[in-house]
Amino acid sequence: MSSSVVTRRLLAKEGDESVYEVFIGPQHPASGHMRFIVRLQGDVIVSVDPDIGWVHRTMEKLAETKESIKAIPLLERMTIIDSQNVTIGYVRALEKLLGVEPPPRAKYLRTLLSEINRIASHLYGMGLAGIFVNHSTMFMWCFGDREVWIQLAEDLTGARLTHSYSVPGGVRRDLPQGFKEKALKAIRYMEKRLEDYYRIFFNNPQVRARYEGVGVLKKSDAKRLGIVGPNLRASGVKYDARLLGDYGVYDELDFEVPTMEEGDAMARLLLRGEEIKQSMNIIRQVLDKIPDGPIMAEKYMRLVPPKLREQALKEGRIKFPGIFANLKLPKGEAVARAEMGHGEIFYHVISDGTKKPYRVRVVTPAFRNVILFRFLPPGHRFMDFPPIYGSLDYFPPEADR
Amino acid sequence: MGVVGMLIRIALSPQFFGPIVFPGLLTVLVVLLSIIWVERKIAARVQMRVGPLYVLKPLGGAIQMLADGLRFFFQEFIIPESTDKLVFVAAPIVAMAFAILPFAFIPVAPKFIPYSVPYSMPVFLGLNTVIPLTILAMAWGSNNKFSIQGGIREAYMTMAYEAVLFIAAYAMALLYGTLDFAEMVDAQGIPGIILNPFSAAAFFVAMIMSAGKLPFDIVEGEQEIVAGPFTEYSGIAFGLTMGIGYVQLYGFTLAFTLMYLSGWNPVPAQLYSIYPALGGIMLFVKAYLLLMFIVFLRSVYGRYRLDQALRIGWRKLFPLSIIAVFFSILLRVIGIV
Amino acid sequence: MSRRKTGLKEHLEAIATGIKYLVKPNRITVYYPEETIVLSERYRGMIHYDWNKCISCSLCAMICPADAMKMYRKKGEKKARPGINYQRCIFCGYCVDICPTNALSFTRVHDVAYEDREEMLYPPERFTQEWVSPAEKEGAKKLKVVFDEERGLVHEPE
Repeated sequence: MSSSVVTRRLLAKEGDESVYEVFIGPQHPASGHMRFIVRLQGDVIVSVDPDIGWVHRTMEKLAETKESIKAIPLLERMTIIDSQNVTIGYVRALEKLLGVEPPPRAKYLRTLLSEINRIASHLYGMGLAGIFVNHSTMFMWCFGDREVWIQLAEDLTGARLTHSYSVPGGVRRDLPQGFKEKALKAIRYMEKRLEDYYRIFFNNPQVRARYEGVGVLKKSDAKRLGIVGPNLRASGVKYDARLLGDYGVYDELDFEVPTMEEGDAMARLLLRGEEIKQSMNIIRQVLDKIPDGPIMAEKYMRLVPPKLREQALKEGRIKFPGIFANLKLPKGEAVARAEMGHGEIFYHVISDGTKKPYRVRVVTPAFRNVILFRFLPPGHRFMDFPPIYGSLDYFPPEADR
Repeated sequence: MGVVGMLIRIALSPQFFGPIVFPGLLTVLVVLLSIIWVERKIAARVQMRVGPLYVLKPLGGAIQMLADGLRFFFQEFIIPESTDKLVFVAAPIVAMAFAILPFAFIPVAPKFIPYSVPYSMPVFLGLNTVIPLTILAMAWGSNNKFSIQGGIREAYMTMAYEAVLFIAAYAMALLYGTLDFAEMVDAQGIPGIILNPFSAAAFFVAMIMSAGKLPFDIVEGEQEIVAGPFTEYSGIAFGLTMGIGYVQLYGFTLAFTLMYLSGWNPVPAQLYSIYPALGGIMLFVKAYLLLMFIVFLRSVYGRYRLDQALRIGWRKLFPLSIIAVFFSILLRVIGIV
Repeated sequence: MSRRKTGLKEHLEAIATGIKYLVKPNRITVYYPEETIVLSERYRGMIHYDWNKCISCSLCAMICPADAMKMYRKKGEKKARPGINYQRCIFCGYCVDICPTNALSFTRVHDVAYEDREEMLYPPERFTQEWVSPAEKEGAKKLKVVFDEERGLVHEPE
């Protein structure tokens, strides 16, 4: 069924009494923090209006009112489940403005946490995709196994979700004792579990029936609409901000960016599973290759009193130099992009030479993907709406900022 | 003495004991309270959780549902202004009544039959077909967009399973040469599930559809239509609507046991000699195990789409039930039964 | 990647997987008030303030992104000292990391509840208090988190 034809034919009838309007959300078991105005004709969706903005928190404006480094804990609240990846772009933009490069070990550690976060974020998305077809086991398993990765992140950074790990010039914590063994155990556990995921969910005929062939996003449409992340790659476009080599050590690692051709909801789900495997592969390599050395740029470390510097080396947790409290940003502009679990995030930081950035522009992946709600469901049955939502891994607070 | 004796005699008579004590009302209540707890515990075990625990901790929260039920009782039952009030209030009560009524036609043990009619099987199934109508009434009376969607789904689902349910059951009737549950049990030297597995498979899936349990909980469809026809209900009326599916399912598992799992056989002779109804213990155990398996499916499956359920009903189950009929005829012709 | 067709075999596989976990559950629940997890060494919990080490540089108050940290100055005293408002604190730990004398430090306590908002204000005098986890104070069994290949996370008694 060509959705565009249906849209054209039936949109003309909007306001017509033959159209049955259903408001999904903001208080609905499966709406998230937003509202969808779904118009039905019979059981067929005519149009969907994603009504966003229910959790708008003026992130961009707030970031302008704070000294640059203080915006890191703020911005990670956009996507609290993926906080390293959501802030790394901002940190990179600041680094470009300040003219510092993190030392190699810090880059490796950033990559490590990025991938741990990516796995946790994908598990979150897959879990929600499960509960959207009332598959409660997938939901609970994903959230249970996500706990493993959150625990790893906690061991590394000291916080379960709000890591605030990367700061301009490096990272705040070194690898703790015995982290490698823990991470490898977690990887082996997850590999075993993924097989069971396939058995009970991905290959379950009921799940296949609900997700397969639903919400097909064609390659050309995906490009035209500016979709990012797994939703784009599931339509066969190999685009990943990690490949740009702007942050982390992805250019030194050997990994694949999986793509799929089908572009339907099932492809988007399976792709997340594949990406988890790739992320585990990356974590393995990072743990093998990680070089010794400082985790904070020399430019800032030498501002720290020598006694504290020694202590920082011993304990593996850095001390900030006093200058961090009012870090002056040189006049200029910087852009940075990073790949989150949901897709590519883009930062544009403009500084007028004061302590606070003049403008922080954030384009989040969820915001770029939200257009799909308008585009994918028309022509499908009403019961197809939750699986489409679930497969998009849409995160309202991220889109609303 | 005379009055008490008479009361005891009435209480122990099949006509009273069947519908009210076992397998009827009281047992239904116990099954309802226990199976929801069992369902949640099973799901929790599979799903890395513990499930209900803190209400009566030594038994793992076994009376959680009692606590929930009490809460339903004391919660305000809101009747929205916009509803059709009579229909809105009456429908869940009627639905529950029709969910319990069929138990009067379920034989408990050999020669212990509440209402002995030669057509107990069609009467049982027929009474169950009233429930979708009451659910439609709920949906209509609620005057809510989600409810009406749910009501339409219920109507469609009835199309999917009802014919299958009847044809599969009639295939067994054909095989045993009787329409009475009790005589069917007597006719089963070999359990019916082995004699005619096609019929058993079709009946099994159709009865899950009928009770609206996963993977066919399409009518409630939480992720699309909140709670379907029950969206506007609160308090004890919501408790009733939640219970209907389970009561129906319990009735169907009893019928399944009678038709396919050789009913109350083997009868424990000692218990039977104490009081005939106790001979029905195997019937209950088999039905309950079956019930547990069905609620376990919740932790394996999600929900099928409405049109897929209809397709399963008409493209797979319906031919399967027709095959079952011919298979029964074949068995009769070659004289196995 | 081509997809297999699914059928009865996959139905049975799914059910078998469910039964596998029903027989051998993989639970990760911690019965919190009776048991409690001992948090890792570098956990960013409630913040402890060392009165004697503090040099009143006020860097902590300056870097606090949530304006939770504030400098308090008593009448007649020269030194201003930090106090914290846990209504605002987001536990980012910037203040601890910037403190040049290690006067601020993390504790491994975070399960604290308050009955009213006033209690969440910690002027310098209260800020120096020692932290004990309420669950541990009540005698909860202490557990530590162990990574396991078979079961993911296992909670073992410490």
